Amino acid sequence: MIKSKRIFLLVLCSVILLMTLSGSASARFEYYEEEIKVGDGYQINNYVIDVTDVFLSDKLAVFKVYKNGADKPIYDDMIGINDTLNFDLENGEVDLKLLSVGSGVLNRVNVLITVKNVDIYLTEIVNGGHEYATYSGTPVIELTKTVDESNIMVDDIITVTVTAKNTGDDKATNVIFSDPKQEHFILDKSILEQTGPMSLDIGASQTVFVYMLKATEAGIFTLKSSTATFSNRANQAFPQALSTTPTVTVTAPEIPEVPKKNAVLELSTDVDSMNVKRNDQITATISIKNTGDAPASAVWIEMVIPQDLEYVSGDSTIEVIGGVPKIYMGSFGVQQEKEFTYTVKASELGTYTLTTKLSYEYDNGVDAESQKVSTESVTGNVYVQKGKYDALLEQPIYVYVLPIIAIIAIGAWIFHRHKQYKF
Amino acid sequence: MLNILMVGNGQCGNRILDAVNKQAFGGKTKFAKFYSNQKFKSRVETIAVNTAINDLKELKFTKGKDRIHIPHLHGVGANRNVGKSVFNDNKDLIMRQIEDRGRFDVAFVVTSASGGTGSSFTPMLIKELKERYDFPVYAIVVLPFREEGSLYLQNAAFCLKDMRDSGADGIILADNQFLKQLGGDVESAYNGINDMIADRILFLLDALDSEMMMVTDLGDFKTVMDGGAGLATIGFYRAEKDVPVKTAIQKALSPSGLLFSTNVYDEASRAMVIIRGDKSYLSIDDISNEVEKLSSAVGHVFKGIIVRNGEYPQVLAVLTLESAFELEKLYAIAVDAINQEREKKERVDSKKEVNKAFSQLDGLEPSY
Ligand SMILES: Nc1nc2c(ncn2[C@@H]2O[C@H](COP(=O)(O)OP(=O)(O)O)[C@@H](O)[C@H]2O)c(=O)[nH]1
Ligand SMILES: [Mg+2]
Repeated sequence: MIKSKRIFLLVLCSVILLMTLSGSASARFEYYEEEIKVGDGYQINNYVIDVTDVFLSDKLAVFKVYKNGADKPIYDDMIGINDTLNFDLENGEVDLKLLSVGSGVLNRVNVLITVKNVDIYLTEIVNGGHEYATYSGTPVIELTKTVDESNIMVDDIITVTVTAKNTGDDKATNVIFSDPKQEHFILDKSILEQTGPMSLDIGASQTVFVYMLKATEAGIFTLKSSTATFSNRANQAFPQALSTTPTVTVTAPEIPEVPKKNAVLELSTDVDSMNVKRNDQITATISIKNTGDAPASAVWIEMVIPQDLEYVSGDSTIEVIGGVPKIYMGSFGVQQEKEFTYTVKASELGTYTLTTKLSYEYDNGVDAESQKVSTESVTGNVYVQKGKYDALLEQPIYVYVLPIIAIIAIGAWIFHRHKQYKF
Repeated sequence: MLNILMVGNGQCGNRILDAVNKQAFGGKTKFAKFYSNQKFKSRVETIAVNTAINDLKELKFTKGKDRIHIPHLHGVGANRNVGKSVFNDNKDLIMRQIEDRGRFDVAFVVTSASGGTGSSFTPMLIKELKERYDFPVYAIVVLPFREEGSLYLQNAAFCLKDMRDSGADGIILADNQFLKQLGGDVESAYNGINDMIADRILFLLDALDSEMMMVTDLGDFKTVMDGGAGLATIGFYRAEKDVPVKTAIQKALSPSGLLFSTNVYDEASRAMVIIRGDKSYLSIDDISNEVEKLSSAVGHVFKGIIVRNGEYPQVLAVLTLESAFELEKLYAIAVDAINQEREKKERVDSKKEVNKAFSQLDGLEPSY
């Protein structure tokens, strides 16, 4: 038995707790005691309770309930004193109890209005009844962001226009617009900026922002939304409105491909004879021509002379640096041509080639650093053979000394005779 | 070996001397002097004397030390009187040059008769030589072209006279006028004449110093030159092919071989004929026949034969003249010329009278 007593207590406590909790959460009551003249109405949110007739003698009154100013009432009744009239309002309900009727210039009633479970944002007496009431609605702000050009180049400028239009059924109040910073663009110029706060009547349009953006990089960009926060006439705040987001395609400017220029120095080396006798001179001619379309600079020509050949002489432009004949030219213009000659002497029999090394630089007009080129040209084989008089050199000394002595003797004799016969 | 002195006076003399020196080298080119020696058989000394330095400079084959310039301010012109006084002033200089060259056996002095220097120097030089030495001295004298003018003719006439008086052992004449048929311009005519004369002189010098058959020597030459009127000329022929010696002798005596216009058979008084050549051409009979022909018309004829292997016949004839018709003719024109010159001088003198009249005004001023 004791056990059942305990369970009963627990259940009782729980019920009480539950009742307490749910009671305060589920039922909200608000009470209004009002005196309303005949012809006037009482507005709760968008509902107006018109007092259309008061019958003093009968202690009766006629009430009509209109919603949103509609022509026909959603409810009407004639009740006596202490009678209660009940109708649904939004998600809750309203009880109207007629407390008394009175007289005056106009007859009037005293009522007790009990509003249950309704979020009340407006209660007031409306002179003239429902026809003169103001009803609050939902303003809808449509924000349109447009661009004057949606395919542009980098550095091009677009004009962005943001317009707002109230397409809702209530006036928007306390409207504040904002426009975020736009990545990939920079603000070039702001022409119009109406951030508010302002109000916007039903159906009214307003140009909010006009500004110019300059595209800084290529890509397909969707502009960010402008926003608007607003309330309705009843100061109810609405979720913020977002504008449309136009897409702008920014193309990188077509940078015309600058053709690269080249300095092309054509080099050739020729010798005057492919077959020479020992100790004869070989004249080499270096020809160089710039067949490219850019001038060359820092042109070095180096004459590579084989061991058994001896550099004898050459054009005055040739300098012998460290035993190597070289030519330096600071620049060498387009289509310029030059020839250099130099002579070498072969003191040994053999087959030789003469090599010319060429190096130069040029600016190709595109790249920052200068282009470096080096080439070389080689002559055909030069055959050095025994000289015509080489055999003489191999002879004993008297073979050529005797004729020389003879020539000197003859010369001396002629000189002597010349003096003898001179007058 | 003979010692021979050869002096060339004046331009003409210098140039003939130079031609002798040139031919002595044997070569035909002007370079011969550089590779060859003179082929004189004898010791030959040549001396060129002139007052005109340019004439001496022109010479090519005469040694510098053998060209003697006698300075005279304005030259001699064609004035023989000036020439004579210049010679007198420089006589010692000239004679010392000859003295320095040693002993001589014979001397030849070459000159033109009509110029200034040579024509005046030569007779005086010969006179000096004859006074100092006893070797024979012969003059080789070139007569002018007749058209060269009265002054030249006058000079030629007086020069020849002075030459006769100088004591020369003989005067060998060469006549430009007669030799002018050699043709060409004056320069090449002169060269041609000079070569002809040089050729003959060289042949003569060679002969005088050669071994000869039938012997002709310097003594014979002297004898020939002694004959006649002291005037002589030379005839010469050198065969270029196989020519009979008879023909060669005739040609040497014909006008084409002579230096002076004469009819040998009429005018010659003595002669010397030298025949040279290969033995095969030298037929003694032919030579004797031909020489006899000459000697029957002339007086004595000396002959000499020189044998030279491989040579064609060559004949030189030295002829002294008894008379010279051509020279008489020359004197006749010369006398005319002398008269003309005198008249001209008188005209000039009368002009001088006029000058005298004018000179009265010297120092006076006209007064008005
Ligand atoms: N045969 C010959 N006669 C010449 C030559 N030169 C000049 N005469 C002649 O000589 C004469 C002039 O005498 P020239 O010797 O020139 O005068 P000089 O220098 O004052 O003695 C002229 O009658 C010229 O015709 C020459 O080279 N050869
Ligand atoms: Mg003269």
